[in-house]
Amino acid sequence: MIEKGKISAIQMGIMIYPTIIATGILLVPAITTRHAKQDMWLSPLWASFIGFLTVYIAVQLNYLYPKKTLIEYSEEILGKFLGKAVGLVFLFYFLQANGIIIREYGEFVVGNFLTNTPLVVVMGSMILVCSFAVRSGVEVIARLAEMIMPVVVILIFVNIILLIPDMEVANMFPIMEKGIMPSLKGAVIPVGWFTEFILIAFLLPYLADRNNGKKWGMISVTAVMLTLSFINIAVLFVLGGVTDRFVYPAISAVRYISIADFLEHIEAIVMALWVAAVFLKVTVFYYALVLGTAQWLNLSDYRPVVFPMGFLLLLFAVWSAPNLMELTHFLGTSSPFFRMSIQTALPLLLLLIAKWRKRTNNPNQVKCQG
Amino acid sequence: MFFFKENKKKKQIVKNRQDQNQNQYQQNFLSTDLNQNLQELQNIYQNCIDVVFREFKIGGKTKAALIYIDGLSNIEEIDASVLTPLMKESDAKENTDQLIHVNYILEQKLTVSKIKRVQTMTECIEHISGGNPVLFIDQQSEGFALGLSNWEKRSIEEPVGESVIRGPREGFTESLGTNLSLLRRKVRSPQLKMKSMKIGEYTQTEVVISYIEGIADQTLIQEVETRLNRIKIDGILETNYIEELIEDNPYSPFPQILDTERPDVVVANLLEGRVAILQDGTPFVLIVPISFYSLLQSPEDYYQRSLASTVVRWMRYIFLLISLLLPSLYVAILTFHQEMIPTTLLINIAVSREMIPFPALVEVLIMEIVFEALREAGLRLPKQAGAAVSIVGALVIGQAAIQAGLASSPLIMVVALTGIASFTIPRYTAGIALRILRFPMVLLAGTLGLLGIMLGLLMIVTHMATLRSFGVPYLSPMAPMQGREMKDVLIRAPWWKLNTRPRLTGTDNIQRQGPNQKPNPDHGDDKTSKGKGGS
Repeated sequence: MIEKGKISAIQMGIMIYPTIIATGILLVPAITTRHAKQDMWLSPLWASFIGFLTVYIAVQLNYLYPKKTLIEYSEEILGKFLGKAVGLVFLFYFLQANGIIIREYGEFVVGNFLTNTPLVVVMGSMILVCSFAVRSGVEVIARLAEMIMPVVVILIFVNIILLIPDMEVANMFPIMEKGIMPSLKGAVIPVGWFTEFILIAFLLPYLADRNNGKKWGMISVTAVMLTLSFINIAVLFVLGGVTDRFVYPAISAVRYISIADFLEHIEAIVMALWVAAVFLKVTVFYYALVLGTAQWLNLSDYRPVVFPMGFLLLLFAVWSAPNLMELTHFLGTSSPFFRMSIQTALPLLLLLIAKWRKRTNNPNQVKCQG
Repeated sequence: MFFFKENKKKKQIVKNRQDQNQNQYQQNFLSTDLNQNLQELQNIYQNCIDVVFREFKIGGKTKAALIYIDGLSNIEEIDASVLTPLMKESDAKENTDQLIHVNYILEQKLTVSKIKRVQTMTECIEHISGGNPVLFIDQQSEGFALGLSNWEKRSIEEPVGESVIRGPREGFTESLGTNLSLLRRKVRSPQLKMKSMKIGEYTQTEVVISYIEGIADQTLIQEVETRLNRIKIDGILETNYIEELIEDNPYSPFPQILDTERPDVVVANLLEGRVAILQDGTPFVLIVPISFYSLLQSPEDYYQRSLASTVVRWMRYIFLLISLLLPSLYVAILTFHQEMIPTTLLINIAVSREMIPFPALVEVLIMEIVFEALREAGLRLPKQAGAAVSIVGALVIGQAAIQAGLASSPLIMVVALTGIASFTIPRYTAGIALRILRFPMVLLAGTLGLLGIMLGLLMIVTHMATLRSFGVPYLSPMAPMQGREMKDVLIRAPWWKLNTRPRLTGTDNIQRQGPNQKPNPDHGDDKTSKGKGGS
């Protein structure tokens, strides 16, 4: 195996949680509000079903191929040629998805805080830091997640508590004015984030306690769902019906914080800590990409791929969209279907084929394993 | 071509040296002829004026010689318990049988408590160099090493680097024997083991691995031994030589091995399953494995009340961040995020910075470097000159700097606070790591603002997450998280709660004390009576 490290199931859960919410807390409130209006706090709940499904698929595939990652077993399921082709689709998707994440991060930082810094410098510095973490292996990324996750959670809750004086509960009403449909429509966009749970397919083979993998994956989905709902509620209470006018409603809400004329304008600190979450998100995607590439090319080590891949990531971040408007438009329209088709539908297809093949081809082997 | 030649030469030199060393310590047995032995020793100790060869006759008949190094042995004792009884031995009592004669000397004449028979020349040299006089008697194929070593040593004093308000005040000295006795006085159980080995081709320095059997993990002890056995070096003068030769990541700014000169710290760590490495000639003892958090713990944490220690510990964590980040935060906020400062303060800072010709980044770098220079000068100077430095220092980073237009008064505050914060870190080595890292952080803050600081922090945390100290992750128990051990990291739980030892490499013998240690005077009597009643 290329990766020799071992992580625990709890570590996997802790790793994947900031990975999902890092960009989610920024963009999801605005995009869901566009469709769901005041019911947007319900949307993450509906969207999370896809998250549970994705975790289920990844765990089932892992049961069938315990020591293999997504790239490796797609080759085993579909045969050499088709498997390599599907692997390439996954890798190319991760490359582009990570490019978009880095672009979102870069646009956010340059648009709000470092207006005079070139976008490439902001994105490049992040990729450089991430590449050091990726080179150190899955154990180190897990430990980093354990250091960063509490900070992110505390950050979210402290901000929500500090916003309480500015909250207006009436913004929530009327609940389900037009039935359940608007919140379901709003759920389409967050689904894109929940499908990212397929990343655990790259972590499950390295679990020391495989039996707990499913449990902690599900707990992680629940935690993400609750966090996104909480943030949606908080943003809704503070900003009300105009939430969809903001690009980053969560940060705009943070600007409302003003305690005793002293604790105000803390959005720069929020940004700095949020950077830690994005760092983790980019690192986990980056790790999956690099590990998958090394396995796809049958390399004995993934470290030589890290820096070239980092350079590619920078290019894809620059190429992913001409400007922020196009980027949010893509994220708000076609992206969820694109993400769902590759991160959930394709693995589901793999799982079905694998199950079917196991049943028809060699029932003896299944018995032996049992 | 030249390169290859160089290489060849080097190899030859290495080979030559190995031969030399082998010659030096060859395993030849002593001869029965006294003169031959003496001749050989005199050859070995050529041009060594400190070696004394004292030849005499036992009872005026049997030839004998005593060899020792001047200054390493107790001369009064040699006179009183070796030379006097042997030379005054009367002829009448002498037996003709040589063997009985020797035993007779050992049993009735030599009033020395420690005597060891030595058979080889190598052993002889070892004992003589260690300060034990060796007695040779004619017609005997063995010598007698007398445990009479005694040399000038420092008395036990309070360790300067790790002083405490409450707690034992004794510190290690340069003498290994004294240090071992300090440990043994605290742990009387025979489970306290001390294994000796010699490191250094020329210095032959004695190094002792100490651990408590049954608590320390066997694989850990073996790992320490293999790493120590790997060392091939001319000599070691301080435990830092060993530290640099056995640590896991030699390029890290962070120390991965703890050094202390307090016996109580060593014993506390031994009781937690760690291994101590003592070296002759230095009061500093190494402890492995450690995590980053052990560098932030002071021995006093465990000698003060738990609540007070918890508060102090948290204060230390905050000051750790301040000492690393405050100058860079100053630069970042003044350069990129002015809106974060309350307006009145911002105006004040702007006014005081009006006369400064430099950007905040340069201003901070100048003052930080000046401060580091003053601190270093203060450390190295003799005490009399130290006062002068502090006066000059107070002037340089103070009013004069402000009036000269080199620094603004808020910056003086920042630098001073950073300096004070860095002194709150109990381990000097950890403090140095943060002092080094402060400068790149300032540069990052000057280029990317708060984002740069965050990226720098992420780099540092990533680096720390990759570190291991003898197999134990450097950031444990935070990452990988071990909830049970937070009791000694996030807080300092009271002693009656510290039931388990920290989990290092092994898991055996994790229980530190009995359950229900919480004092409870009301139920104390009930319990005992219940126990007696058997209910």
